[in-house]
Amino acid sequence: MNQNVTNPIIEAKDLCFSYKNEDGIPLPVIRNLTFSVERGSFVCILGHNGSGKSTLAKLLNLVLTPDSGSLSVGGIDVMRDDLSDDDIYNLRRRIGMVFQNPDNQLVATIVEEDIAFGPENLGIAPDEIRTRVDEALRAVNMTEFAHHSPSQLSGGQKQRIAIAGIIAMLPDCIIFDESTAMLDPIGRAEVMDTIESLNRERGITVLHITHYMDEAVRADRVIVMNHGEIFLDDTPGAVFAQVEALQSVGLDVPQVTALVHKLRREAGFEISEDILHSADAVKALKELYESI
Amino acid sequence: MLKDITLGQYFPGNSVLHRLDPRMKIFLIVIYIITIFSASTPISFALVLLSAFVLLLLSRIPPKLVLGSLKAVFFIMAFTAIINIFWTTGDRLLLEAGPIKIYWEGVEYAIFMIVRVVALIVGSSVLLTYTTSPIALTDGLERVLSPLKALHIPVHEFSMMMTIALRFIPTLIEETDKIISAQKARGTDFSSGSITQRARALIPVMVPLFVSAFHRADELAVAMECRCYRGGEGRTRMTRLHLRSTDFFALAAHLLFLGVIIALNILFS
Amino acid sequence: MNNKISLEHVTYRYSVGTPFEKTALDDVTLGFEQGIITGLMGHTGSGKSTIAQLLNGLLRPTEGRVLLDGEDIWAEPKKIGAVRFRVGLVFQYPEYQLFEESVERDIAYGPGNMGLSQEEITERVHNAARFAGISPDLFDKSPFELSGGQKRRVAIAGVMAMEPEILVLDEPAAGLDPAGRREILGGIRAYQKEKKNTIIIISHSMEDMAIYADKLMVLDHGHVSRYGTPHEVFSHAEELKQVGLSRPQITKFIMELQRAGIPVEGGIYSVDEAYREVLRAFEKKRMGG
Repeated sequence: MNQNVTNPIIEAKDLCFSYKNEDGIPLPVIRNLTFSVERGSFVCILGHNGSGKSTLAKLLNLVLTPDSGSLSVGGIDVMRDDLSDDDIYNLRRRIGMVFQNPDNQLVATIVEEDIAFGPENLGIAPDEIRTRVDEALRAVNMTEFAHHSPSQLSGGQKQRIAIAGIIAMLPDCIIFDESTAMLDPIGRAEVMDTIESLNRERGITVLHITHYMDEAVRADRVIVMNHGEIFLDDTPGAVFAQVEALQSVGLDVPQVTALVHKLRREAGFEISEDILHSADAVKALKELYESI
Repeated sequence: MLKDITLGQYFPGNSVLHRLDPRMKIFLIVIYIITIFSASTPISFALVLLSAFVLLLLSRIPPKLVLGSLKAVFFIMAFTAIINIFWTTGDRLLLEAGPIKIYWEGVEYAIFMIVRVVALIVGSSVLLTYTTSPIALTDGLERVLSPLKALHIPVHEFSMMMTIALRFIPTLIEETDKIISAQKARGTDFSSGSITQRARALIPVMVPLFVSAFHRADELAVAMECRCYRGGEGRTRMTRLHLRSTDFFALAAHLLFLGVIIALNILFS
Repeated sequence: MNNKISLEHVTYRYSVGTPFEKTALDDVTLGFEQGIITGLMGHTGSGKSTIAQLLNGLLRPTEGRVLLDGEDIWAEPKKIGAVRFRVGLVFQYPEYQLFEESVERDIAYGPGNMGLSQEEITERVHNAARFAGISPDLFDKSPFELSGGQKRRVAIAGVMAMEPEILVLDEPAAGLDPAGRREILGGIRAYQKEKKNTIIIISHSMEDMAIYADKLMVLDHGHVSRYGTPHEVFSHAEELKQVGLSRPQITKFIMELQRAGIPVEGGIYSVDEAYREVLRAFEKKRMGG
């Protein structure tokens, strides 16, 4: 089931992490997690609330430190004892992070000033920052809002500014920690289109954490988490074919996938199991219909 | 609605004063204040008053708006003026009614005092607060004060705090609005009852507001760290402020004006 | 039509007399039927949230009237507090309204403001907690210790416990995972079945509303562009697209099948219906129809 990874940007082995409750008893959130992520790929991590997916994101960006196991991010062994502040700083430049609440990650009162925040922290020359900010604004299609205040923007627009702020740091990989959860359908579509283009056009590795199944369809690979463990790990088609397994961990499959699955299983339709896109399903059903 | 409250007094525009470098404006305001307090002769006071109105015209801010801000200090001005008029003694008696004696000097002081306050408020507001966006002001202050970093004064941190405060004030105001509405929908009565009852009605607003503000602060701190923030050291800025010829011209004008006032003092003393 | 609550030529402007004046609703007339769940849908900025606050008197119409059982709720502005007890409103992301030291006390806050007896309050709190899916062993916990989904349910229970004749919920399931959405929307459905009250759910999830609402009202720029059962509304799927709403994936899919020449009927919004419809079409051809 595990994917072939030849050039990993993230490698985790037997990763464990627990939170302590108020009585000091550790509650395991991540249990013996082993996986790696191919450089340049688009991986979606799915799971219900409390499945450990957001904790995983915080471990990957060193907001939290694993209890045990090994974790290497961008070639840096983050479990090393002599990990310096500079190492962490370098890692954060290369592994960007976009969070859930768009309001709580924008720092400045003007859009372009906010995008410049990361590069400014990196000590980049002013002219170079200017170029990067303009380029990042273009990448998220927000150039016309450069001089707006974040409070004038919609949720989807704010989230795109947050993404631009990360792009301007020229990262190798961006982790999206439920970045679409608080958006309306239009905002979600805007952000998903942006994420997809970053991966396809710029080759940035994307780790997208979500509980929206329709978003996972766009990834190269889907990892389903449950109780801090990997439950399924495969291509979207193969993962969504397992309708009952997904439902057993509190996730829904896209409606078309569910229909195809039901037609196959209950009515004996001869259609391939891993159909993901409705266009493929229409084609398959049409062929069947015409063959009657 | 709460969110309509305007932030600061910034009045967007494109006048000469709007275009001045914020760092220069901070210097200019210092020079201007020194000038105002150097004035000591009737002619210099007349010039100071005139200069305030020249600045007002240059800023192209509606005069009504600026004069409106004088209203706030009207009572203080009136009160000190009356004290000056009645209590100052001098050589030139103006009026005598029973035990009350009013001297020319008192009236003079009162007028000078009013001129100073008016010039101070009009001058500083059109030079700085009305024509400089809060963010430019913060930025300018950080840069002007940056030599103080050598004395371990956390100049960068203060300016970052200001920036974040400016960024979050609209968000928190909106949130307060929302919490008030939500609690009203649960039957909280904010507008009647005794003072203690009204104070108690604020608990359901204050508790969620603080919880949320701390939560936001927490998330923002993580987000900033993830964007490689580690204080002001080694940090660069995208916008470079450039002093232009108008900035130097403004500086020269202010210095000249200060010189004139000092010369007048010497001449008439 | 038997309207429990309605807006009559309502215009609402924010911040009248300031430079920020903005018209949110312009001459809107609409009504909500007694004893059913109505899904109120529209894109962001269509005026849904303004309508919610007009219904329970948090906002006062600039022009027009809000009628509750046929009576203007602003007839006596001093009595607007009583209207808020009759029309409950759950805001978007309502977990921000929690403030008490225990879950039980927080749910009891609304009923407490209504001046009910202690027994009555306790009973209502337990009832509301049951519908919202909060187990009694959470009662003594601080609401701030709960998970996001639990907080949401406590906040909803806090308004349910006021047992309003009309309950308006603004995006009650926003941001939750599928299981969380089902629990909350299912709880609201069960609550309505027992209390037989009028419920209005504001949502932009067509998939959810197709399942949980009896009638759907589609807003476009503050006007009702479509009103009817989910089946009726989804039969006009193209129109939904035009007003900026996303149709359920399955509704779109069935339309694509139609276009591909498979004779299926439109207006479908659930997987089970689609399944039956596809089987019916295939069966018909097999029988040589």
